[in-house]
Amino acid sequence: MDSPLLPAPRQRCRGAGEQERTVLFDRRATFWILYLPPLLWLGLFFIAPLVLMAAFSFRADMRGALLQWWTPTLQQYAAMLETPGYWRLLGISAVLALIIATSAVALAYPVAYFLAFRAGRRAGFYLVLLLVPFWTSYLLRVMAWKIMLGSEGVLNSFLLYTGLIREPLGALLYNRTAVVITLIYVWIPFAALPILAALQRIDLALFEAAFDLGATPLRRFLRVTLPLSLPGVLAAFFMVFIPTVGEYVTPLLVGGSRGSLYGNIIQDFFTKAANWPFGSALSMVMLAATLLLVALAARLVDVRRLIE
Amino acid sequence: MPPPRARFSLAASVLIVALLLAACTGAAAPTAIPPTSPPPTDVSPADLTGRLTVLDWAGYDAEDFWVDFKSTYPKVNVSFETGASDADIYARMKAGDQADIFHPYTGWLQFYVDEGLVKEIDTSQLKNWDKVPDHFKAIGQINGKQYFIPWDWGFTSILYRTDKVPEGIDSWAALLDPKFAGHISMWDDGPGAVTVSSYLHGYDEAAITSEQLAAIKTEWTAQRDLNLFYWAGEPELVEGMKSGDIWVAYAWQGAYALLLGEGVPVAYANPKEGRNSWVGVYGIRKGTENYDLALKFLDAKLAEATGNNVVNLFYYGHSNQDVMSGISDETLKQAFSIDDPNILQKTNFTPNLTVEQRDAWTAMWAEIKAGP
Repeated sequence: MDSPLLPAPRQRCRGAGEQERTVLFDRRATFWILYLPPLLWLGLFFIAPLVLMAAFSFRADMRGALLQWWTPTLQQYAAMLETPGYWRLLGISAVLALIIATSAVALAYPVAYFLAFRAGRRAGFYLVLLLVPFWTSYLLRVMAWKIMLGSEGVLNSFLLYTGLIREPLGALLYNRTAVVITLIYVWIPFAALPILAALQRIDLALFEAAFDLGATPLRRFLRVTLPLSLPGVLAAFFMVFIPTVGEYVTPLLVGGSRGSLYGNIIQDFFTKAANWPFGSALSMVMLAATLLLVALAARLVDVRRLIE
Repeated sequence: MPPPRARFSLAASVLIVALLLAACTGAAAPTAIPPTSPPPTDVSPADLTGRLTVLDWAGYDAEDFWVDFKSTYPKVNVSFETGASDADIYARMKAGDQADIFHPYTGWLQFYVDEGLVKEIDTSQLKNWDKVPDHFKAIGQINGKQYFIPWDWGFTSILYRTDKVPEGIDSWAALLDPKFAGHISMWDDGPGAVTVSSYLHGYDEAAITSEQLAAIKTEWTAQRDLNLFYWAGEPELVEGMKSGDIWVAYAWQGAYALLLGEGVPVAYANPKEGRNSWVGVYGIRKGTENYDLALKFLDAKLAEATGNNVVNLFYYGHSNQDVMSGISDETLKQAFSIDDPNILQKTNFTPNLTVEQRDAWTAMWAEIKAGP
């Protein structure tokens, strides 16, 4: 893809006129003006902390000044290797993230489809409805689930009132299922947005062509709409999957004692154990595992072909 | 045009610079004033200005808990930072937090001294120091020096719903009792679990062996199936007990008094193994430029009005003896077991952790939570 913001290829520069040189300079200037602030920001507040964290994972313990030279050690990684529980939990977290991302995308697709093709003039209104949950804090929305599912919550009270149950159901909250349900719910509006963008880009003439060639609505969807929206679907999937692998707030609120995910363990080592080296090592392993999974997934579905 | 207050502080800084210059020229004389002694100023407390930063727990930033300082030194600007746990506060101080004063609890004190993060307290400048009983003073002493001043204290015991557990509770074993499966809540803390197991099995908490730690891990791994959720903050626990989800919990007496106040039928056990007790202390950061002001702040923290608020609003004890003997409210008397003359003998104080214990016990807890 040729971006108008990127500098022109070098060979055109040779023997080029004065005017072209000015244009080239302008392009370079635009490039730096547009890219430098976010690059600086990312460098300062993302890359630098990440590098620092990587360095910390090679530290023996918290003794001594934090910012000083220390002899790198693989001790933290060795300790992690010896504890199968952490690897198991990483696996569970990745599988749950996969389930959550797939479900959220599957549930978000019809919403996006409706908004793109069926909502008509009211699309804007429905889009606002979809975004309403973003207006309240994430914490509030999760707390609302606690009110719904608690043993004296809305659902239990209703079931008790109707006489369908005699004892409140305890299994609704404080387990991994509650974590999965809550996270899918939280992610649906997020996942719908990239899919909507992809669907809106489809040239409507293609539908007419499919219709003229005798395709049934289902066939048209499977052969035209779905493949053309796949970049959006993939973007939505990764947008949900990557942060969910390290999720820790939702398990903390609705997961109970058996609902911890890998992210909770990382958080514990930073906030409850004051053991930054081990927490950093756990984070680095998670980062590597997530990147590996994403690379693998991208390879399997051949993202580049899709985007072209 | 700067606002009048800014102009005033500008004038004050000019004055201070002038005073400093005068002090520097005077330093040539053999009778130089040591830098730590208070400057010989005529500024009355009401006109004293300055800036203090306190790293404290959420809730303690309310003016009720430093009301004496506020009324004596109204012009000093006090700002608060909040920490989520002892580990959090420690890690922040370690990472170079510039707070002048910080608020750790027993168990976490030795590290600050070992890592050189805390400055010794000049108790001769504390007017309220005499009102602090010696056994409390001793808790703030590390390596024979007074590094911390004790401030709030309380018990840890088993809190239970009397309507759900009519037979009552007399042992820490209740937290591990299958009878209460699905209705127990333990504090989300490894060292807390080690404490409970130590009381139950008579381990020496200060010298837990690796075999004992392995046994503790097995014990609490099994407990996980009985435990509904681990609580991280008191509001979470209070909500769980109020809703009837939790019947039996590891708890501080703040939660007990709070639930009593709301009319929830609860009792605070006197386990046969003894209650646990903790003390919150204040320390002054080594390297602070506001040492004298920080001392004034801590002295005011020990004063009566502040102490009364700690007792009446948070239901925790205060290190000022006069405050405690002044309690007349029946609920509070019950919460502190003031009428039980033997309660302190039946109480175990949390010992200070070593780095090795901290790392091993917190890792044990993480492994339990991560386990299958």
